[in-house]
Amino acid sequence: MSADTSATSASGTASVIHDLGYRRYDGPRLGRAQIIRALAWHSFRGAFGLGRGAKAKIVPLVALIALCLPAVVNAFVMSRGNPRAVDYDTYTPALRDLVMTVFVAVQAPELVSRDLRSRVLPLYFARPIKTIDYPLAKYLAFTGACLVMLEVPLLLLYAGSIANVHGGSAVWAETRALIPGLLVGLMWAVVLAAISLFLASLTGRRAFATGAVAIVLLLTFTLAEILLQVEGPQNQGPQAAAIKGGPGGPIQVHPLVYVPSLADKVSGLFSPFTLFDGVRMWLGGTNPADSVSSPGGFGVVYALVLVAITALCLYGLAARYRKARLS
Amino acid sequence: MTVIQIKNVSRWYGNVVAVNDITMDIGPGVTGLLGPNGAGKSTILHMIAGFLAPSRGTLTVHPVLGEPVPTWRNPDIYRSLGLVPERDSVYAFLTGEEFVRSTARLHKLGNPDAATRKAIEMTDMGQAADRRIATYSKGMRQRIKVAAALVHEPEILLLDEPFNGMDPRQRIHMMELLGKLGAEGCTILFSSHILEEVERLSGTIQVMVAGRLAASGDFRAIRRLMTSRPHVFNVRSSDDRRLAALLVGRPYTTAVELTAKGLQVRTSDFGAFCAQIAVLTRDHKIALRELLPTDESLESVFGYLISSQGS
Amino acid sequence: MSAYFNPTIAALTLRATLGRRRAFLFAIPAVILIALTLVLRASKPGPDVLWPDRVLGDFGFSVLLPLTALIVGTGVLGAEIDDGSAIHLLATPVRRGSIVVTKFAVAAAVTALFAAVPELLAGLLAPDSAKLAFALFVGALAGSLIYSAVFVLASVLTTRAIAFGLLYVLIWEGLLSNLVGGARILSIAHYCLGIANAIHPDTNLNAGLTLATSVILGAIVTVGALILATRRLSGFAIQGEPV
Repeated sequence: MSADTSATSASGTASVIHDLGYRRYDGPRLGRAQIIRALAWHSFRGAFGLGRGAKAKIVPLVALIALCLPAVVNAFVMSRGNPRAVDYDTYTPALRDLVMTVFVAVQAPELVSRDLRSRVLPLYFARPIKTIDYPLAKYLAFTGACLVMLEVPLLLLYAGSIANVHGGSAVWAETRALIPGLLVGLMWAVVLAAISLFLASLTGRRAFATGAVAIVLLLTFTLAEILLQVEGPQNQGPQAAAIKGGPGGPIQVHPLVYVPSLADKVSGLFSPFTLFDGVRMWLGGTNPADSVSSPGGFGVVYALVLVAITALCLYGLAARYRKARLS
Repeated sequence: MTVIQIKNVSRWYGNVVAVNDITMDIGPGVTGLLGPNGAGKSTILHMIAGFLAPSRGTLTVHPVLGEPVPTWRNPDIYRSLGLVPERDSVYAFLTGEEFVRSTARLHKLGNPDAATRKAIEMTDMGQAADRRIATYSKGMRQRIKVAAALVHEPEILLLDEPFNGMDPRQRIHMMELLGKLGAEGCTILFSSHILEEVERLSGTIQVMVAGRLAASGDFRAIRRLMTSRPHVFNVRSSDDRRLAALLVGRPYTTAVELTAKGLQVRTSDFGAFCAQIAVLTRDHKIALRELLPTDESLESVFGYLISSQGS
Repeated sequence: MSAYFNPTIAALTLRATLGRRRAFLFAIPAVILIALTLVLRASKPGPDVLWPDRVLGDFGFSVLLPLTALIVGTGVLGAEIDDGSAIHLLATPVRRGSIVVTKFAVAAAVTALFAAVPELLAGLLAPDSAKLAFALFVGALAGSLIYSAVFVLASVLTTRAIAFGLLYVLIWEGLLSNLVGGARILSIAHYCLGIANAIHPDTNLNAGLTLATSVILGAIVTVGALILATRRLSGFAIQGEPV
């Protein structure tokens, strides 16, 4: 492949294309799966601020430390001979709700809004991938990041408890309690990642996206909590618990027939956080959280609403990138 | 008369030196700041405009009315200084006219409306002034930024890559505008990496390479100063071969090449060659048809400076 | 103060803040607060439930006010710095203090409009809560001022102001300062609660600071933030771009 190609134009002077040694790459090429994996890994790192400056790491780090604190405190408390103070499947709900809100509100824009702002989407889509691959990779990455944020404290809690109990049966009991907690964490990660990524993908300005995610999650949270405290049993503590409300959920106002338990149950539909609790208890979780009382059979509705929200957000996310536009 | 004085200015970011010990004086008229990307042109411009502090050295502005003042942390310099930044961002929700008028108001001009109209007319934005800036093309945005920078009739105008995104007609218009302002005594400093723009517009150039000032002054004069590199001329005559033989015998000739288009002569002594070529051809009865210096363009000056700096 | 307030900047900022989709972000919570109040009023819960406190206090005060102030306050100057259009404002002889104060005033006014006024309205709509409503309204006004000053300062200090502000509002104010008693003096929400509590004492508000402490600390924080912001803005450097 070293011959110069030449042509003679009408006037008779020769035009030549010189061989500069340009070669096509003929070797093995990795496929779509590897592209998705590379993008997901890069985004996963970006969700923790790795690969960026120091300021990008502050919020994820503070959030992770805040979430791990109860586990550390529990280990300390247990070493004094007390029983385990923190449950695996609820894990200090007030703290977890707020910290996860901050985490997803601040980091979801880092994953998707940045690319929109700097208009690099055409670069991504000029590769042999389908348009679904980009949101898929981002979603996998962010779910993974949320999983880390949610499960690492649980594992720390487990480690701290194991270190302080004696006997195989106690260890086995701890392990059995841990598993549902991990599954609850998985549920949180899957849903929160979908909601926050979808909202963040709507704009290229990070501050705007952060504000939108924060407002949606917190508004619904406070809304559901107020409804629960008003409509539900009068056993509220002084804590500002998270209020949950689905971002797509309608504000269901029960008619004036005051049936406490049903209104109470319906109130919990308004926020992802209360939905998590409802599904958890429906599936047999113990220890009702501050706000949501056990929904019993109504829990099916909770689960369905949760699935519907997640599906809608994922659909929206995929639709957002269906056309490989500049922004 | 110096309007902008830059003395031993350096600027570094950690280990990266963006501007390395630059000293220059800029006076009225149009000065071009020329250099490849990464040379530090934007950095120097931002420092002159008071938007970046030098790590070392001083930058002072000498307005006609007032004392010479350093540019950093001194908002009063903006009374006599206008800046056209490179970045494409303006308030997209305003119309062009609103943007220029609010700038006029911020400058506390006595008659903002008249100043606005004048600035818009100067930049030929009259047609589009009542449309929102979000609908403007890139060249139009540049022009509206120039209008906003001119609205308070500053003595000093700084432009960072002003011809970016302009089509040829807009570029000619902008060059005429800047040339006119420069002739009226305004001090205009603009940066560019496009040689033709700088060549056509400015008398004085400052060449920056890798953060250093490689040359300043008139580019033709700079070329002549570069004596170590021979000048190259294209010569066509009635008898090339005989002329070639004659030239080879002369001390000021370093090389002669016979090409299909004539002679290409390299000479080390520009002055002697120019003075003697006509005499030579006349004495030997050769008709001189064409005498072209091939490399006295800014491009060759530039290329030479870059390569000599790089090595 | 009048020498500091610049009407041109105020008009531009107001247009920028209210004229885009961003306005939805802080308009919707206000609407929801009022809607929620109306709904709860219609559903007439039992007398044991002191629901005005919860709605106005928890939602209006601890969520609506700080979040609105965050989005507005970090946006008035932060959005311009972020997209680079701040340079057109800064390349004028306008005093930097004037820029900061004007932007602060606009942020405080918009926050008051979208957080404090709905508080008042909701409180008036709720039964038997006029006094509480007024107390919370004054507290929210104070909050608009203090929060806006702090968030404007944050937006001058860093481009990630909203992220750190969210961390502060949710983690510090939402959790920690309620748990650790002494930390209340560092919590703007508690300054506001202290002021509101002084006007209409209500144990459900959980206020821990006296009126004097709240007012003094609030004033110090506000003025200090504005002064710091002015100093930083005077040395505003265009970052990066070593070209």
